[in-house]
Amino acid sequence: MKRSIFQGFFVSLLAVVFAFGFSTSAAAEQIKIGGIMDTTGATSDVGKDYAIGMAEAYKYINENGGVNGKKIKYIWFDYGYRIPEAITKYRLLKRLGCVAIMGWGTGDTEALSPTINKDKIPYISASYSAHLTNPKKSRYNLFFSSDYSTNARACITAWFDKKWPEKPDYGKRAPRFACSYHFAHPYCSAPIKAIKDHARLLGFEVGPDVNVSLFALDTKSQIMALKKFKPDLVWHGNTTMSVSATLRDAYALELGADHIINNWGFDENLPRLAGEAAEGVMGATPCAFYGQNYKNMDKVVETAKKYNPGVPQNKRLIRTIQAWGDALITWEALKRADKAGDLSGHGIMVNGFETMRNFDIGLGASPISFTSTDHRATTGCLVQEWKNGKFQEVERVDIKKRWPDKWEKEWFGW
Amino acid sequence: MSSVWLPCGNYHENYVIDQGWWQTRVIKGKMILLLAIVFIGIPLFASEYWVGVATMIGYTAMGAMGVQLLIGYTGLITLGHAAFIAVGAYTSTLLVLQFPWPQFLLDWGLAYPISILIGGLVAGIWSVLFGLPCAKVKGFYLILTTMAAQFITVDFVITQYVSQIGGRGQAFSLPPGTIKIGPWIIDSDVKSYYLMAIMLTLIVIIFANLLRSRPGRAWVAIRDNDIAAEALGINIVWYKLIAFFVAGFMGGLAGAFWVSNTAALSPEHFPWFLSLWLVGVILIGGAGSIHGAIFGSIFMVLIMELLQMAVIPISDYYPQLLINFAYLKDSIFGLAICIFLIYEPNGLAYRWWQIKNYFNLWPFSY
Repeated sequence: MKRSIFQGFFVSLLAVVFAFGFSTSAAAEQIKIGGIMDTTGATSDVGKDYAIGMAEAYKYINENGGVNGKKIKYIWFDYGYRIPEAITKYRLLKRLGCVAIMGWGTGDTEALSPTINKDKIPYISASYSAHLTNPKKSRYNLFFSSDYSTNARACITAWFDKKWPEKPDYGKRAPRFACSYHFAHPYCSAPIKAIKDHARLLGFEVGPDVNVSLFALDTKSQIMALKKFKPDLVWHGNTTMSVSATLRDAYALELGADHIINNWGFDENLPRLAGEAAEGVMGATPCAFYGQNYKNMDKVVETAKKYNPGVPQNKRLIRTIQAWGDALITWEALKRADKAGDLSGHGIMVNGFETMRNFDIGLGASPISFTSTDHRATTGCLVQEWKNGKFQEVERVDIKKRWPDKWEKEWFGW
Repeated sequence: MSSVWLPCGNYHENYVIDQGWWQTRVIKGKMILLLAIVFIGIPLFASEYWVGVATMIGYTAMGAMGVQLLIGYTGLITLGHAAFIAVGAYTSTLLVLQFPWPQFLLDWGLAYPISILIGGLVAGIWSVLFGLPCAKVKGFYLILTTMAAQFITVDFVITQYVSQIGGRGQAFSLPPGTIKIGPWIIDSDVKSYYLMAIMLTLIVIIFANLLRSRPGRAWVAIRDNDIAAEALGINIVWYKLIAFFVAGFMGGLAGAFWVSNTAALSPEHFPWFLSLWLVGVILIGGAGSIHGAIFGSIFMVLIMELLQMAVIPISDYYPQLLINFAYLKDSIFGLAICIFLIYEPNGLAYRWWQIKNYFNLWPFSY
């Protein structure tokens, strides 16, 4: 008897669950947005905070009127950075009627790029490769941030403007520059051509690259190789874990160079992991760090405290702000597309994203513009440094203003 | 003797009938019905999403066939099969993107089909290289050499060198219209599904025929007792290497097919977990059975799809479920293997065999 009651309960529960699960009928006035995140895989060290931030941002959006009164149903999955998983998740989200998808890293973005362009579904991801900014090649890929190449150009420019004149050898010789990154990883290698091009433009002597794995814990041999070249400046293209290992070894072996870092290697965890080796390092920041005093930051912090009180505030990262950046531009695009009466993927792109001109999301991000011929969201980025126990603004570099011709004609799509 | 009990009143009168593909009219009817469902029913009536799920099932089954041959039929345990799938995928993609094909082959849409075959061959040869240690080692030691195949091939050779070809330093992306068979440009989920269905059918036919041939019997003999097989005059190293070649070839075909489904490729498509997953698929489906590879693929892919659908409504009340979804899937994968090993060690194929025999012998199913 007990067994049959248990079985009956179990079967009913399953029936209810699957009935809800299979149901694709949308509730009235609801817009479905999908999410493909990594909270357990290879990039979960930064992906988890991004995923939590994204879910919080959509809760905030719904609390604040949604899309002209329509609520957003944000359906997201963890794909564990497994590409076949990302593809099946994408298909499910498409079947569920999602009109846009918040993606994650280079892996899923590149794997899905041909498919989303065929399906005309905007894919707003955290992979900021400049290769994705040419709408002729990838019309439906977007992100709110400056791309990796612009980040790299901005960082080296800021160092050249602010730090190089303070060096004793300034005016006596050309500054020496080298790159440290995981050669075979698309995220790391994406801006290398651009940063070397920029270094030569500014008159740097460019030395040999060193290969540092994304999973590196010991980089002494690479630092010894760099010491032969005696660089004044090193670009770090990896993520926080291996960048902090490289900084520690550079400090211990007295490399004597300054360091500039791409955005995924420059966050609140860097000084925690690198200690005093992080003093003075500079990095590209597509937006402000968590809790910094910028417009709209109070909303981010309030929402985080409200919906995830279990996550300590001092553990939150800039990744939350990056997620909000992508969510806020999507919100704006949806509102514009809804006003134009076309909430299809194509409508969101044409009447939403591609109508944005210098759109300000606050959060320390640069103004955002998209056109049908250029998906470079911003023309520069904020460069910050870790100094005296906090992140401080060094310079907001606008690459387009400094080199308008090259920006328009040469530096597009790479 | 055939492994299937025949319906009452049907008898085999000679070995040709006994080894025949379609031994009775009922079996012939069932197979035609199955082909009709696969080639007409699913593409016609299933939504695009379910066609995509069916394609994933087919891809998993193609990958699992090679694992089934090595583990289920030859007794060689492998934990590096994703490497051979990757070799097939990269060979096919590089040929399509970089090889200077004569214009007439491009016009006739033969570049991709030829690249599929070459992808299979290169993967087969690559598989033999990592199968060579089987001359000296077996059991746990062989597992480690196959794991080495995964790390050397995907994490080192492909990631560090092959994926850098072309100088982009990025994942390969195939421009629209590149994946073409004759006049047929594969640019939709349904077309990918058809390609999968044709390739899987051909693989099953070739595999099943191989099992009825001399190598097939030698593989089974080696699996059951390699010392006894050698005493009977079977060159066990030779046949083990043939098994590695055929398994690698099938993996290579699966990889070359995968490119048509994504039109993009990076080393991240072939993690070590995929190798482990394929072993799980045949353990659940049933080792030593072609049906097993297919049943296991259906079970694993469908269970995971149903699971993620079930999670959507629950996640409104328990958001942590989404954050840890991949862990949940891995747990269910592990749990499914444990449950099958304890309660149904012969897998789903054995259950299917029992059901089939029950109806064949009905109403005297004693």
